[in-house]
Amino acid sequence: MNMGKTAKLLSSIGYRKAKNNIFKISVMVFSFLTISMVFLIIGTLLVKGYKQINLAFFTQVAPDTFSAMMATASGKVIPGGIANGILGSIYLVLIASAIAIPIGIVIGVYLSENSKKKYACVIRDITDIMQGVPSIVIGIIAYIWVVVPLTKGYSVLAGGIALAIMMLPLIVRSTEESLKMVPDTLKEVAIALGTPYYKVIWRVLIPTSFSGLISGILLAVSRVLGETAPLMLTTLGNPDINWNIAKPGSAVPLLIWQFYNDPNMVNLIWSSTIFLMGFVLIINLISKWIGAKRK
Amino acid sequence: MNSDKILKRVLFFSSLVIVLIAAAMVFSLFEGSLPSISKFGWRFLISDKWDPTRGSENYGALLFIVGTILTSVLALVIAIPLAFCTSLFVAEYFRGTKLASIVGTLVDLLAGIPSIIYGLWGFYILCPLVVEAGLSPQGFGVFTSAMILAIMIVPYATSLSNTTIAMVPNDLKEAAYALGATRLEVIRTVILPNARSGMTASYILAFGRAIGETLAVTMLIGNENAIPHGLFSTGNTMASVIANQFGEASGLQLSALIELALLLFVITTIINAIGKYTIKKIG
Amino acid sequence: MKKSIVLVALLSLMTLSNKVSAQSISGAGATFPEPFYNAAFATYERVAHAKVTYGGIGSGGGIRSLKDMIVDFGASDAFLTSQELREMPAPIVHIPTCSGAVVVAYNLPGVKEIKLTPTVLASIFLGQIKNWNHPALKKLNPGVRFPNMEITVVHRSDGSGTTNMFTDYLTKVNNVWRSKIGAGKTVNWPVGVGAKGNPGVAGAIHQTEGAIGYVGSEYAFAQREPSALIQNKAGKFIKATVASTSAAAKGKIPADTRVMLNNSSAPTAYPIAGFTWLLIYKDQAYNNRSLAQAQATLELIDWMVSRNAQGLAVKTNYAPLPAGVAARAKAILRTVTYKGKRILK
Repeated sequence: MNMGKTAKLLSSIGYRKAKNNIFKISVMVFSFLTISMVFLIIGTLLVKGYKQINLAFFTQVAPDTFSAMMATASGKVIPGGIANGILGSIYLVLIASAIAIPIGIVIGVYLSENSKKKYACVIRDITDIMQGVPSIVIGIIAYIWVVVPLTKGYSVLAGGIALAIMMLPLIVRSTEESLKMVPDTLKEVAIALGTPYYKVIWRVLIPTSFSGLISGILLAVSRVLGETAPLMLTTLGNPDINWNIAKPGSAVPLLIWQFYNDPNMVNLIWSSTIFLMGFVLIINLISKWIGAKRK
Repeated sequence: MNSDKILKRVLFFSSLVIVLIAAAMVFSLFEGSLPSISKFGWRFLISDKWDPTRGSENYGALLFIVGTILTSVLALVIAIPLAFCTSLFVAEYFRGTKLASIVGTLVDLLAGIPSIIYGLWGFYILCPLVVEAGLSPQGFGVFTSAMILAIMIVPYATSLSNTTIAMVPNDLKEAAYALGATRLEVIRTVILPNARSGMTASYILAFGRAIGETLAVTMLIGNENAIPHGLFSTGNTMASVIANQFGEASGLQLSALIELALLLFVITTIINAIGKYTIKKIG
Repeated sequence: MKKSIVLVALLSLMTLSNKVSAQSISGAGATFPEPFYNAAFATYERVAHAKVTYGGIGSGGGIRSLKDMIVDFGASDAFLTSQELREMPAPIVHIPTCSGAVVVAYNLPGVKEIKLTPTVLASIFLGQIKNWNHPALKKLNPGVRFPNMEITVVHRSDGSGTTNMFTDYLTKVNNVWRSKIGAGKTVNWPVGVGAKGNPGVAGAIHQTEGAIGYVGSEYAFAQREPSALIQNKAGKFIKATVASTSAAAKGKIPADTRVMLNNSSAPTAYPIAGFTWLLIYKDQAYNNRSLAQAQATLELIDWMVSRNAQGLAVKTNYAPLPAGVAARAKAILRTVTYKGKRILK
């Protein structure tokens, strides 16, 4: 019968192999597309910004428009650097991580351990919705709840809290999903051996899903390193390096915004972005090294 | 066990942090929207006017709702095939190799680029291409914004997918191979069902990123307060108009912008729910 | 033991300010004067050992910050209306620091200079003149060969003082604009594309042939884009320069300096210009503010309107205050009190 012949054709080894190969080629093509776009973007950054990278870039604070104007007019490299932004960004990210990582991981554990419950589904949905909140709205919220009542002024703390709120959904969800991938058997064996709950989590679940947790944290950190809008409403900016969390602080994206709006300093935005990329690359490599050491 | 109970309590209470933050957001946004809600009521949702002229102020959200949905959904549609294939590349086809490690790291770097730079890159590189192809006079529009958004959200879509695909237990895959399955069949019958939860989560997170993106979209969408009638026409999105006008707004305009932010919550909820429901039905 | 010492050291580092003796002043607001302010504040830090942090978050943000009493001063390109003054918790004074202009930039390859009258300018932005070879343009510029090209209007997508200045001018010189569109930081543009910020508009004009748009002078002067000569009230076609911008302020200025300098009658004045102000509370004893802090703030602003800072304004492409206005600014500063007593001598 025709049906039988078609069925035989569709399950023939040749046809299945053909589908397999076509799929493999499509995967390669699309991956290649993605990678080429990455190269295109990073390449543009490097080409436009390499001239401004020198030692002063990392050690000096941002120049003012006048010295920049003079330098651009005479074709020289713009003096100064982004040291205030670099240290400010690191400070902000440390504060935000100190808040978001522990809370995010704990919530992720809760969600994966109580996956089917209705309440957990609600929490999960709210977390996903929070991911869609525009960064400026988070800045507005941090302004209303931290800048005005708490620190009574623009402050690094407000910026850190705003960034922490932005990091949470990513950390919570990747922790939850990574933990879900740990085979149930591992957990059951540990419990059967009488291991207390906290040890099961700390010694079995988290180490097994460690790379997943790290990826989530990495993504969250990468995201907030480049955010501008919430910082404009919380940490405002600072021409110098500032360690006081109750006072305004600087950050690289804020400097990039400042450079962008100043016709004399606009060339600095590319080198500043290269720095951000370099920083993300370094923490990426460090986390891979930590992951490898654990094995 | 006492310590077990305490731990379970701690875990439960930690989840309240999310509830508190969300409640604080909704409360503040609602409080700020009240003047606008009381003046425009339901008309706000279907009105396509946005007129900040003093004396005849009239605001409506329709333009921005349409623009937001168009750009973010289109961005996701472009990004999913790219991210899906890249995830398979890194976590399955070339899993464990140096190549996969390099590719994975390179894609992760995309997440660290500030959105203003994406906007500029789109402006300098993508817009002229669109203009040359004759599709739009200045290169701005829904398509350009969606294209850049797609690139921006790829790392969010790949990160968690990579993790979950790589964590599918080896014995399941080997069993399938032992039965004579091709790689595609192993992917379809073993990897995807197991990794589905994580992959869905990653696409929803990527979508959230797209819908909330402000700066890059603002620089590329042309900011025309009209409903986009084609793929290459200009328009405006909610996040973009909020970011654009918040700095200088006051009074009724500010309230209308805050109401837009509140509406964005609602729209994100609805689209997320639709997405999750669709995935459930497909699987 | 070691861990706790490190912790204590870190905490004390975090809460102590950098230079314990230096006063720190914070302000927020307009982006238009930001390059000038940043350069001036950097110089001030060297001169007076007081640190100033300034955030260019927009005039609206500056006014909001001042209203919430979380900054020492606000900065705005648009002066507060009577309504807005009533909404502030306490009386405010405006101190002008410099002025700037709005430049009409265009992209017409090969065309070095064009003249525009207020009517033609308004018609272009209203969408009534749609093509560069329109007879009205040809009449004004007899020597120019206009191409048969569509005019692409570029305006700001974000709320801005530059838009406010430009639309205020159009409202003053054109009845149709006044009744149809009006003035404001954001308006309902009848035609054109929106770009974000001065760089966005300048970039869009640069990349689109046949484009025309308005750009803040602080940006335009540094970029040296071709700009149109606008006919002023005295009938002369004036190019936007630092000198012609300053000239716009040489007229009658109200006592509180709250005025738009648009459409000035001075013969050499560029017609689209305006001040930018610093805003502070008239009585500085609010919210537990110390006398020292108030003194430091006033001394900073006093320096900003003095000769050295004003000279720096010129160097950074901003129009300095004419002598009369600078004197007025200093007089206003001397009416600011702390618990009723004057602060500056």
